[in-house]
Amino acid sequence: MGLRSLVALPVDKGGTVVRFTLQSTEEEERDAFITSAAYGISANQTLLLGLPYRIEPADEDRTGDLLVLYRHIVWRKDYLEGTDRLGLLLGTLLPSQSENDSAVQAGLVFTHFKNRNEIDGDLVYRFGNDDRRDSARYDLSWQYRLGPARRPAWGLAPELNSVLELNGRWQQDEEVVHQATVGLQWIHPRLVLEGGIVRDISNGDETLILLSTRLHF
Amino acid sequence: MSRLLLAILLTIWLAQPGLARTLEIEVHGMTCAFCVDSLQRSFNKNQLVKKVDVSLEQKKVRLVTDGDLPSEETIRKMILDAGFTPTRITVLPDSVDQ
Repeated sequence: MGLRSLVALPVDKGGTVVRFTLQSTEEEERDAFITSAAYGISANQTLLLGLPYRIEPADEDRTGDLLVLYRHIVWRKDYLEGTDRLGLLLGTLLPSQSENDSAVQAGLVFTHFKNRNEIDGDLVYRFGNDDRRDSARYDLSWQYRLGPARRPAWGLAPELNSVLELNGRWQQDEEVVHQATVGLQWIHPRLVLEGGIVRDISNGDETLILLSTRLHF
Repeated sequence: MSRLLLAILLTIWLAQPGLARTLEIEVHGMTCAFCVDSLQRSFNKNQLVKKVDVSLEQKKVRLVTDGDLPSEETIRKMILDAGFTPTRITVLPDSVDQ
C-alpha cells in the first residue's frame, strides 16, 4: 500500500489496521494529524474510516469531516508470486460542522503485487451535496522492496520499500493538481513506519511532508 | 515380577515425548510481512496448533501439532479469511516432538 491512500490495504477478517499520519506544509503553515482505520468485515469486505485534525492554523474548527468508505473486492487472482485485486469503493463524507455539507463518493482500487514490486491505483469521485463542490482524486503508487533482496527461508523479517507515486487532486471549477510523492516504508510484521515528500508538479507549488505509522491488531 | 516389568514399561511409555505432526500448506497471494502476520496469529489461536512458521520466500505455512490435525476445511477457511488462497496441503511424515 502506498503513502497517500489507505484503500489498497489488505485487511483480514476481523482484523483492524490503524494509521496515524502527520502531514506538514512549510510554505503555508498547515499541519494536520490524520487518523485512519480499516476493519476487515470479511476477506473481501473492508470498512475504512478517516478523520483529519488540523494542528495549524489553530482556529476553532480543527476537526475535519469524517470519511467513511466501504470496499468490496470484486475480482481477485492469487498466484504463487503475488496477487491482483480489483475493488469497488462506496462511501460518504460526514461533516463535523453543521455549516459543512456532506458528500457521497464512489471509486475503484486496483492492486498488482508480484515478487518485489507492488503497484496500487485508486480513483475516487466525490459528489458534493448542496454547497459542497464535487471533487476527485487519483493515486498511482509503485512500491519496490529494497531489502532484503531474498527473504529468509522461514520466518518474517522487517523489509524496506521505496515508494514512488503520482497523485492527483481535483475540485470542481479548478484545475487538477498533479503531485509526485517519493518516500520509504519500513515494514515490520505488526508495525509500519513510513514517510515521504509530496510535491505539486502542475497547477500548484506546494511541498508536503508526510510521516506515518500503521499498527495491526 | 511381571507387575514390576509392567510398571517400568508404563513409566517409559508415559515419559515418551508426544508425537508431533506437521502440515505444510502452499498459499497463493501472500505478499508482505505486515499482511501475513494476521495469518500467523490466526493459526496461533487454534488449540490444535503448537507452532506456526511462515515462509514468504516459499509461499508456505507450516503448522506443527501435538498429534491431532485441524481439519482441511478449517485450515482452508482460516487462510481464506486472512485474504489468501490455499492450494496444496501436505502432511509431512510424523516426527517425534523434542
